[in-house]
Amino acid sequence: MGDGNSGTILKRMPLIPLLLAGCLYPGISLGYIGPGAGIAFASSFFFMFIAILVAILVFLFWPFRSLYIAIKRRKRGYKKTDIDRVVILGLDGLDPALCHGFLKQGKLPNLQKVAEKGCFHPLATTFPSMSPVAWSSFSTGVDASRHNIFDFLNRDVKTYMPDLSSVRVEGAKRVLSLGKYRLPIGKPRTVNFKKSRSFWSILGDYYIFSTILRVPITFPPDKFNGALLSAMCVPDLKGTQGSFTFYTSNPEGDGKHTGGVRIPVKVENDTVSAHIPGPPNSLTKTGEELSIPFRAKINRADRTVAITVDKDNFTLKPKEYSPWITLKFKAGMGIKVQGIARFYIMSIEPDFQLYITPINIDPGKPALAISHPDYYATCLAKIQGSYATLGLAEDTWALNERVIDEEAFLKQAYLNHAEREEMFFNALGKTPRGVCACVFDATDRIQHMFYRYLVDDHPANRDKDREKHKNAIEELYMKMDDLVGRTFEKLDDKTVFIVMSDHGFKSFDRALNLNTWLYENGYLFYKNGNPGDWFQDVDWEKTRAYTFGLTGIYLNLRGREAKGIVDPKDEAPALRKELHEKLEGLMDEEKNRVAIRTVYETTRMFDGPYVGNGPDLIIGYNIGYRASWEAAVGNISEKVIDDNTRSWSGDHCIDPKLVPGVFFSNRKITTRTPNIMDVAPSVLDLFGVKIPAYMKGTRLFSRTPE
Amino acid sequence: MFGSKIKIPKELVEKVNKYAELAGYSSPEEFVIHALEKEISKLEESDSEEEIKKKLQGLGYIS
Repeated sequence: MGDGNSGTILKRMPLIPLLLAGCLYPGISLGYIGPGAGIAFASSFFFMFIAILVAILVFLFWPFRSLYIAIKRRKRGYKKTDIDRVVILGLDGLDPALCHGFLKQGKLPNLQKVAEKGCFHPLATTFPSMSPVAWSSFSTGVDASRHNIFDFLNRDVKTYMPDLSSVRVEGAKRVLSLGKYRLPIGKPRTVNFKKSRSFWSILGDYYIFSTILRVPITFPPDKFNGALLSAMCVPDLKGTQGSFTFYTSNPEGDGKHTGGVRIPVKVENDTVSAHIPGPPNSLTKTGEELSIPFRAKINRADRTVAITVDKDNFTLKPKEYSPWITLKFKAGMGIKVQGIARFYIMSIEPDFQLYITPINIDPGKPALAISHPDYYATCLAKIQGSYATLGLAEDTWALNERVIDEEAFLKQAYLNHAEREEMFFNALGKTPRGVCACVFDATDRIQHMFYRYLVDDHPANRDKDREKHKNAIEELYMKMDDLVGRTFEKLDDKTVFIVMSDHGFKSFDRALNLNTWLYENGYLFYKNGNPGDWFQDVDWEKTRAYTFGLTGIYLNLRGREAKGIVDPKDEAPALRKELHEKLEGLMDEEKNRVAIRTVYETTRMFDGPYVGNGPDLIIGYNIGYRASWEAAVGNISEKVIDDNTRSWSGDHCIDPKLVPGVFFSNRKITTRTPNIMDVAPSVLDLFGVKIPAYMKGTRLFSRTPE
Repeated sequence: MFGSKIKIPKELVEKVNKYAELAGYSSPEEFVIHALEKEISKLEESDSEEEIKKKLQGLGYIS
């Protein structure tokens, strides 16, 4: 049920006149169309009218509302606490071992200061150790079997096809056909698969306000007493998790890219004319792809490119990002869908190469609700200008597929980071009481893409630079330390400050394909020997176990999977045990190293109501190993274990015991072994709110501050 | 206007309230919703393969 707390909001909103106005409206919402893959379209006069009406009503009801809240507050929030505020700086993937090393070298003076005043400990992460799971446990205080997020992906047990584990965006329930158009009646729906309840939602019940920025797996946004900007799994305008566009005059290459599209262009009279592909037109029955024409005029004398998109003109130098450019796709009937993207000239000669980032939902005019309240994203855009809204905003695939280079990736990551810092400091200033929490992603993405520089013989180093960015990770940690310092100096003694990460990082130099292992060992079968992505040609009537995603093995269970053959009572326990015993300690014969350190049986380690939705086994890979790229998409490969040669050279989807995160605080804690599930109950406890019995974490701070 | 109401026998509601937290749910509502979702998922149709692939495009962790 997510964090739906709409009842609280409803009680405090003068809704009846609003609803009456809604009843009078004919019912066709042109504010949203889609989603299909393209999501939604510009709003109409109706929404402007409603906004003005709400503003007037809020103003009229303000004295009564303030009185009501004051009475409530006297009874509830802040009564049993000696603190005013909790500030949480989330640095995704910050690694304790690397922190220790840089602290020893004196490179993290501000984190040192925080640790000396309070504490620094490794923070035990979740099973499995990946951001969607770990940040969900951070927010809810429960494990995966209670919040229902076991991976980035889950599968449809009817089709064995994967889908995002946390959210599904669905089109409007009904459409009105008008000639070639299909007008949606109502808004698209975002279905939240994350369960349990966030600590900020519980605090909201006690009128303790929170500002939550970019915490992963907060899309769709919770409704609660506070403000929230969503993050991980917010789609781009095309409805994907991020699709770049790359234009090149180089005719070589097959044009196939996983993370985007490659469009060949011709340079004629130093001019390139092409189209920017957008979302499919959800307004029409054919759903043709929308596009915007653009022209790039190369000036070879001053080495610049003048770009014209629609009516906008801007000039770029090579290796320089444009500001966010607004892209308006015309769908017909006067309706536009609006997104933003940055342009980057990779080269002018010998080949013209232009990279355009994934088209983000425009926060100034969001096509989908990406914040709570809805207008919060727009307010931030008014304050600081456009900013990245895509869940995984740093384009790792563009670097993985060498469409851009390390320099372009770093620039992009730090541009996004600067936007995040600006919104964080804005929120910090506006949240004198309550919770202010923000998660920064650059730490995770840069370590994924630059870890190879820390490992001399990493297979991903072949044919790539090993010098120019060899200090990228050290510089990243120092930049984060600077952010910690700038934050810490703004806090007083009545603020509890937490700097934390969801997991650590290790090298990913060997890729292990468990589907291949299952196939070779007689657990996975094909009908015609014609394997492909997403279990193409798998013979489910013979298959007993399969894997996809990053750490789980699933049994083909009768009564759960559509073509399940393993009896859940008579066969499943023995099969789990058999796979456990065979896989634990699996050797990489080529390197003479243990590839799988531990195997965890989920029915033994979890007791929550959603345990059946997750994998049956979680694989605890050893350092250096991870699920292969082919296994992640339900395919097999030639070898069970092979080198990982991609730029994505660091990872954390291994045995969770090997990749704890970090926990720094300006206050001491009562244990040396904190767990990420302890943060939510600890924050509740700091504000004197009773910790719910269903939470698995425990409080970390002593009731009497030291 | 204010949401749908479904009548549930009082004894069942008492049991839901009693067992929700024990079972690991954050509220009785979550318990009820999960029970209904499990049943409804057996009846619902799935997305097309193409639609699914498109949605997942760009997810950095997978190819």
